[in-house]
Amino acid sequence: MSKLIGAVAAIAFAASAAHAQAPSPDQTAFRELYKELVETNTTLSAGSCTLAAERMAARMKAAGFTDSELTIFTKPGLPLDGGLVAVLPGKDPKAKAILLLAHLDVVEAKREDWTRDPFKLIEEDGYFYGRGTLDDKAQAAIWVDTLIRYRKEGFKPRRAIKVALTCGEEGGSVGAVRLNGAQWLADNRRDLIDAEFGLNEGAGGELDDQGKPVVHNVLAAEKAHRQFFIETTNPGGHSSRPVPSNAIYDLARALDRISHYEFPVRMIDANRGYFTRMSKIVGGETGAAMTAIVANPQDKAADAILSRDPDYHAMLRTTCVATLLEAGHAVNALPQRAKATLSCRIIPGQTAEEVRQLLVAAIDDPKVTVTQPPGAGSIAAPMPLPAKILSPIEKVSGQMWPGVPVVPFMVPGATDARRMTEVGIPTYGVSGLFEDRDGGGAHGLNERVRVKSLMDSREFSYRLIKIYADQKD
Amino acid sequence: MKTIFAAALAASTLLGAGAQAQAPRPDEAAFRDTYKELVETNTTFSAGSCTLAAERMAARLKAAGFPESDLHLLIPPDHPKDGNLVAIYPGKDPKAKAVLMLAHIDVVEAKREDWTRDPFTLVEEGGYFYARGSSDDKAQAAIWVDNLIRYRKEGFKPRRTIKMALTCGEEGGGQVNGANWLAQTQRALIDAEFALNEGAGGNFDAAGKRVTHNVQAGEKTSVGFKLEVTNPGGHSSRPVPDNAIYHLIRALDRISQYEFPVQLNDATRGYFTKMSKIVGGETGAAMSAIVANPQDKAAYATLAKDPSLHAILGTTCVATRLDAGHANNALPQRATAIVNCRIFPGVPVEEVQQTLVKVAADPAVSITWPSDGRSRVEPGAPPLTPQVMGPIEKISAQMWPGVPVVPILLAAGTDAKPLIAVGIPTYGVSGIFYEPDLGHIHGLNERIKVTSLYEGRDFLYQLVKVYADQK
Repeated sequence: MSKLIGAVAAIAFAASAAHAQAPSPDQTAFRELYKELVETNTTLSAGSCTLAAERMAARMKAAGFTDSELTIFTKPGLPLDGGLVAVLPGKDPKAKAILLLAHLDVVEAKREDWTRDPFKLIEEDGYFYGRGTLDDKAQAAIWVDTLIRYRKEGFKPRRAIKVALTCGEEGGSVGAVRLNGAQWLADNRRDLIDAEFGLNEGAGGELDDQGKPVVHNVLAAEKAHRQFFIETTNPGGHSSRPVPSNAIYDLARALDRISHYEFPVRMIDANRGYFTRMSKIVGGETGAAMTAIVANPQDKAADAILSRDPDYHAMLRTTCVATLLEAGHAVNALPQRAKATLSCRIIPGQTAEEVRQLLVAAIDDPKVTVTQPPGAGSIAAPMPLPAKILSPIEKVSGQMWPGVPVVPFMVPGATDARRMTEVGIPTYGVSGLFEDRDGGGAHGLNERVRVKSLMDSREFSYRLIKIYADQKD
Repeated sequence: MKTIFAAALAASTLLGAGAQAQAPRPDEAAFRDTYKELVETNTTFSAGSCTLAAERMAARLKAAGFPESDLHLLIPPDHPKDGNLVAIYPGKDPKAKAVLMLAHIDVVEAKREDWTRDPFTLVEEGGYFYARGSSDDKAQAAIWVDNLIRYRKEGFKPRRTIKMALTCGEEGGGQVNGANWLAQTQRALIDAEFALNEGAGGNFDAAGKRVTHNVQAGEKTSVGFKLEVTNPGGHSSRPVPDNAIYHLIRALDRISQYEFPVQLNDATRGYFTKMSKIVGGETGAAMSAIVANPQDKAAYATLAKDPSLHAILGTTCVATRLDAGHANNALPQRATAIVNCRIFPGVPVEEVQQTLVKVAADPAVSITWPSDGRSRVEPGAPPLTPQVMGPIEKISAQMWPGVPVVPILLAAGTDAKPLIAVGIPTYGVSGIFYEPDLGHIHGLNERIKVTSLYEGRDFLYQLVKVYADQK
């Protein structure tokens, strides 16, 4: 094992070997904290985010944080959906803070479906098993641990460092609402979490099948998810007397046009960085297409090659896809209403109204209405990825994983980062946590994290945040 | 009585109507009593009992002199409220085949709070009877009972046996379909040369003028085909070209553009022949042309502009329901549509299914129908013979001179089908004239014109008598 990895990163190897044999006191303390957090059930069905927040606050208090630096928040009526905001104050009152965001809640896990108890931290063959070991209690525990270490060391950062641990990222369920703590803070305690930028889950490194780090990703943009309703109406009638005008057929034709419509390619910073760096790694026809599309986003041939891959296709543009259909009220009656739901993933920089207009134009039928459900908020402007964010990541990554490229990218899905970005705190996904190709079973059965990856991520985060915290404007 | 009635009608329909409303004849009062009792016996699936209605009608027949042995209360096993009544009025000639009078006694649901009046109380108001079933189908059911009572009291000795079947479950509310159940289990008891049933009447125009007197000879069959596409699905942030909804809607788009071949039968040939003179003009000419040559594309194009004519020129299929997906942010794993087909009499359901498969032209789209695993060939339309049409035309001409008798093909369905399927040709004929709103059948405040009901009774009384003595 040492030989295999030693070739990749001497430093990482040395640290890792030391961990495996004799954990340092701070590593033992981290592991205790991580274990407590994983073993605190925070599922919607049977757990409590508030309890997890209180336990983390207790550890920070024991490490010297004052009550005024620790804020447990809950929303009336949802006593189990609480969270914690902890602040390590900065020396320079004018310098804006850094926000470290992680979610406490986890996806449901049934004991009978899992090989091991999902709410016991079990170490086996170099992995920690348990619900939340990866998503997202790894990062939550690292944030708390990092602040505790800084306080114990007497580190006085220039900027304040804030940790926000929140509930409800994984969503509620039918019939059970869960407070999204990140949204609640953005709406109600904007001052408490104010920061120049935030760090969050959503990106890590990728290991190859031999456990060798291949690429280190930084999540620098998220698409916004918006629904649109495509609707047609008709006077209807008895199905024994069909007429040419039919709500279902009007809808079918509209959806057929949408299915053939491609939104224009939009090259955003995150994609430019991603394709530029990946072109070298991927090589061949695809690599050449990546280079070509960065040079000219209107390059149709390059788009065609890349868009064969649904992931690249989704990175290059807004996508809309029909996800739900509903029409008619009786099997023997002509439909009076037909409705489709489109799930649109809007690329940063495009507004929902622009997308709606493009859909209307693609459908090209005045009988068909295209609307958004009420209450859909505005879409955040694309985040910049300035050198002051990226350079420290590259620097620490270069120390720990020399030769492994740092590659910014955009996720077509969404995390809680967008809730911060939308209130003016651009939030990036970065963890330095290298995962196996199978994704570690996040959301699924037997979720796990490689012990070495977790410990390396902790070290990476500790170093990175120190640099950010002392950075000049 | 008949003479006076016919003369009054010939002079002025409206005058006749007014006179009747004021002073029902004594025999009409007896009929009204039967009709009222039947209408006021709730026979909905949710709260009623066909058995009770059948028992009450049987009691009236018994009181009129029918022996118990000629009254058959037939209740499907395990469905005590879904009873049917078969009554036999024996004929003189044991070799002559019977005439069967068919009507259903169940009714569509009706909520008191939605109706202006109590739907289960017979209310006469402004020249109409209001109640659930006042038209569909307790008008004809009460007329059949009343016919038998009158024949018995008069001492009428018909040549053929006259049979009556009052059945449950026609409206599909959840009761056992009595017509089908009798056809399958009591074929000998209901055996007849032909049957008379609901499904046609006369039409008033908006001004109250009689336009046509319809006879129904054939019905289309309604089959709901299920189109289904399945897919592994996935997250909606990563769309892929292969999508269950898109397969489905492209298949529906192709089906929407397909026209089934033109078909004609006795009923539609008769309809177009008669209507061509009434309608005249381009449409009338197209009606004559299509009878002469069913492949006349220009004539078809002209007629098909009218959805009602389009519907009787062949099989039609139309999408009526869509259902797809399970979450707004997930690619659909399943997409389904219901395509409701109205199949021309005599066309096998499998043939329509195969056509849909061909037109959908996508192996990803499965097309099935609730066949119970059995092959199903829909019965053809009954022939329109002079034996059937002659008496209708004769009595109609006496009662409503100048009003043409027009055969029709029904795009919807009645209980005629299960009888036709077992070899009993069944025709829709009532002599009850309807206004353009069709009396709100199945809807709120169902009603029937009082004069039309009494006329229909007079018409059917004579008609069944003529058939019963026919050679």
